[in-house]
Amino acid sequence: MVKRQAHVALPIPSMISRWFSGFGRVALVTADHAGGLGALTWQVLGSIVRLRVRYRDVMEQAYIMGVQSLPIVFVTASLAGIVTSQQGGYQIASASPRYLLGTLVVQSVVLELGPLLTAIVLVGRIGARITAELGTMVVSEQIDAFKSLGRDPVAILAAPRVIAGVITMPLLVGFADVIGVWTGMISAEISADLGRGEFLYGARLFWHSWDLFYGFTKAVVFGFIIPLISVHMGLRTTGGAAGVGLTTTRAVMFMILTILILDAVFPPLMLQ
Amino acid sequence: MIEYRGIYKAFDIPVLRGIDLRVETGEMFALFGPSGTGKSVLLKTTLGLMTPDRGDVEIDGMSVFHGRRGALEEVRRKTGYVFQYAALFDSLNVYENVVMGLPEAELARLSKRDVARRVWDAIEIVNLEPNEVLVKIPAELSGGMKKRVGIARAIVGRPEILLWDEPTTGLDPINTTAIERLIHRLSEELEVTSLLVTHDIEGGLEMCDRVGMLEGGFLRFCGTPEEFRNSPDPVVQAFIDRAAAEAALDMMSGAR
Repeated sequence: MVKRQAHVALPIPSMISRWFSGFGRVALVTADHAGGLGALTWQVLGSIVRLRVRYRDVMEQAYIMGVQSLPIVFVTASLAGIVTSQQGGYQIASASPRYLLGTLVVQSVVLELGPLLTAIVLVGRIGARITAELGTMVVSEQIDAFKSLGRDPVAILAAPRVIAGVITMPLLVGFADVIGVWTGMISAEISADLGRGEFLYGARLFWHSWDLFYGFTKAVVFGFIIPLISVHMGLRTTGGAAGVGLTTTRAVMFMILTILILDAVFPPLMLQ
Repeated sequence: MIEYRGIYKAFDIPVLRGIDLRVETGEMFALFGPSGTGKSVLLKTTLGLMTPDRGDVEIDGMSVFHGRRGALEEVRRKTGYVFQYAALFDSLNVYENVVMGLPEAELARLSKRDVARRVWDAIEIVNLEPNEVLVKIPAELSGGMKKRVGIARAIVGRPEILLWDEPTTGLDPINTTAIERLIHRLSEELEVTSLLVTHDIEGGLEMCDRVGMLEGGFLRFCGTPEEFRNSPDPVVQAFIDRAAAEAALDMMSGAR
């Protein structure tokens, strides 16, 4: 009898305490990561200002992030342009002037799809790679070896990747924009029978140079945040090979979530 | 001289509970102890690779954790660290790995030819053939060769102190003996202060001037190899017996 009463009486307080402890844990983890990212940003800026970053390392990372990402960015942007054009053509076929398809494709690609899809591609191709690489270096004591030899791992490993991200991401987004608009225009010509002249007329009709600036600002922020988070997570790896796998998965989730949140923050800040 | 003062470190549970230890200049000191007793943790605090919760390390009177600005860099410059699994940089070849052992200021001062000479010498000292190994990447080397390259990287900067973190772990008996001879020879030739963390009790007792044993987070024993062998402490004797039995098993499995 006593046992049964205890069983009935406990759940509500335990649920509340569990909720509070869960909330507290999430808050602590968030604060911990925010602090870690802030400190890493400071260290990266410090190594740049003190000219501790080697030009050759930056170029090597820029090649990996930029040139080697061109094929996958090309495919992603092409498909984004084609799909937007076809779905847009379907939507406005009967209700609006057809040249608005040009407006729709260009605005969608420049404002949203170009930066966002390129960022997500880079998370998978570059972010995961950086986290796994640095995580492996941590568990095999290579990071400790750098420190023991009086070398700064942030200047050698983190800063070149962050600088390369900030440089290459806008270039990749520019490339994605051109490819997306181009494939969208070809697709509109084939599937909606919209001439290039009409497409470009629609594209110019609602064009603002600010839109391009908006897209490139996103690109710079994403290009900064992807290597920063991946380095931050990689350097916090613990627990051997399994730890590297777990940290890489977490880093990918962390990066995608951060990019989507930042993407949602941009319109109220810059498109009002 | 290396001096540990009240080093306390906990990972959920305390691993080191206030270690006081002094390794004199030019001395070779071996630190024994069962696995998980914090030997490597203590070694890592020497270079600030791990920060103790309490206590401090002093190198030649310079405080590692509470010293003036730049003290840690200076300590790292005068100390070579040999990692348990060599910790060579995967993406660099042997030459580039060993070059990393030269302090940045020295690298800036030396000509390319002098740098190459220093690397060449360091590789020869550890009994490797420079022509064969310098262009190889770590993945192309055997375990014993990796350890030797790790040692070459640690000594190329001509350190005053050498820290050895289980340098013979994972090696077969022949390589173990070869590396032990190398450690002994280097410590004498280079006239450095050596702190060696090892499971190999016989090797440690043969090579070192003094030995210590960590147990339960405390420094259970500190003295000469002779005193260690004849210690009346039952924990020390049990550790010696267990280690001897494990060594015999290793020998038998190696012979098979």
